[in-house]
Amino acid sequence: MDHHNDTHATEGTGRPIRFRVFRYKQGDRAPYFDEFTLEVAEETTVLDALTSIRNRLDPTLILRSSCFHASCGTCGMRVNDREVMACVTKVIDLKSSVVKVEPIANQALVADLVTDMVDFYAKFNAIGLALVRDSDWLPDAAEPAGIDSYNRFENCIECGLCLSACPIVASDPRYLGPAALAAAWRAVEEPRELDPEAVLRLTDDPQGSWRCHVAFECSEACPSNVDPAGKIMLLRRRQAAERLRSIFGGRHG
Amino acid sequence: MSEQSVERTAVERGAEGASTRRRGVIGWVDPRGRRLGGWAFILNRLTGLGILLYLSFHLVVLSLLARGPSAWDGFVSVAMSPVFLFFDVVLIFGLLAHGLNGIRVTLVGFGLVVDRQKAMFAALMVLGAIALIIAAIRIFEVG
Amino acid sequence: MPAPEQPAGDRIGTTWTPSHEDTKPTWGWILQAVTGALVLVLVTLHMIANHFVVARGLRDFQDVVAYLSNPVIVVLEVAFLVVVTWHGLLGLRAVLFDFGFSPRIESWITRVLSVLGVAIVAYGLWLTWVITSYH
Repeated sequence: MDHHNDTHATEGTGRPIRFRVFRYKQGDRAPYFDEFTLEVAEETTVLDALTSIRNRLDPTLILRSSCFHASCGTCGMRVNDREVMACVTKVIDLKSSVVKVEPIANQALVADLVTDMVDFYAKFNAIGLALVRDSDWLPDAAEPAGIDSYNRFENCIECGLCLSACPIVASDPRYLGPAALAAAWRAVEEPRELDPEAVLRLTDDPQGSWRCHVAFECSEACPSNVDPAGKIMLLRRRQAAERLRSIFGGRHG
Repeated sequence: MSEQSVERTAVERGAEGASTRRRGVIGWVDPRGRRLGGWAFILNRLTGLGILLYLSFHLVVLSLLARGPSAWDGFVSVAMSPVFLFFDVVLIFGLLAHGLNGIRVTLVGFGLVVDRQKAMFAALMVLGAIALIIAAIRIFEVG
Repeated sequence: MPAPEQPAGDRIGTTWTPSHEDTKPTWGWILQAVTGALVLVLVTLHMIANHFVVARGLRDFQDVVAYLSNPVIVVLEVAFLVVVTWHGLLGLRAVLFDFGFSPRIESWITRVLSVLGVAIVAYGLWLTWVITSYH
């Protein structure tokens, strides 16, 4: 484990913070932690600090970021055992002189703080329906002049923090997980060309909506107000109602 | 857009190796960074498994009934000892925690009362604390 | 547009997830909730009947025989036994399923736990019969 000191503050007001950063390169026998001491200012974010570490102390540190405002979903990390977006997490707000930084959990690791999100995306594909859809104008929207088409963004920024926080994703490779299930509910709520009944059927599975154990850690971790746990419960409510209807009321519709 | 074919790739446990960082059972029991719902999850899991263990013990103990009064009454006198009574209180705690949290999990898990579940959880735990005190008093007053 | 075929060995960390041929609605969770609610009621009755009725809080042998001589009690206790065994083994099954074993292993687990459940209830019924026929 290497220990680096940099007393030249990033911006100068100087509270020394010890960063314990997870390190792993393909071929290493096991992961380990490197320590870097940095002076941080009031507004220094975790991402600022890590970038500073990479630029000035250790250029071999691998990390990834893009938008700097929790919109692209790239810089998700576990900081002091909590899932956060590093770009908007101020070091001072962590209220600790030791900051442990690890990559998000339950994904394949590329190196250091960067994960391969292949598993994450595979969950969306596993439902077998296109959950990313072309947008239409809403019926009552006035089309602005000169615009031919637009992309409508949903809250989910696909950062993977929810899957990192979920206790079941931690142990169960087959569980669809909060992100895909939340997307499934969004597709039920607003189907457009999708068949909502098909989505409900496909997620009505022991490894779908019913594997969740109501910990709600995903919704706590989500930086983007998706509330995946709430959406899983809505899926279940609908699926349970269908089940009851099939017993008592006979087939509907 | 209609259905696309499902991407389905088989996992070979060897292929995952050190580069897939699934936390495993640590993800269930690690208390660090946990929020209220996460605590409720681990409480339910541990009390549930604990009660199962107790039930196996209970079934074995009940077999003494088949061996007649001397076997059973002998056990009853052991069951009055303070250590036993202490574990009885632990059992009641486990039952209350699991049962009352189970109410929350059932209601929320069917999509009901989701918005106020933290308040409901707190109220149920207060009820549980009261019930536990009543039970503990009863256990130690007759034991 | 179909997803491109990925050779399994090349991708690190890819996992098998259910395709739509495999999904099936499950009753496990609903049964868990129903048996759980019943357990709540029955365990409360069980505790009161066994620990708050007799002065010492514990029934000695004669107390137990007297207790089980009432057919309503027998029905209640047998119902409690069935429901708590069912709920407990469903719970154990849920914990095991949280490891994401293959569907084949999962149905094996279900079968083993079902046999275990039947065996436990049978044992309880036998024990009840032994006690009630004691004189």
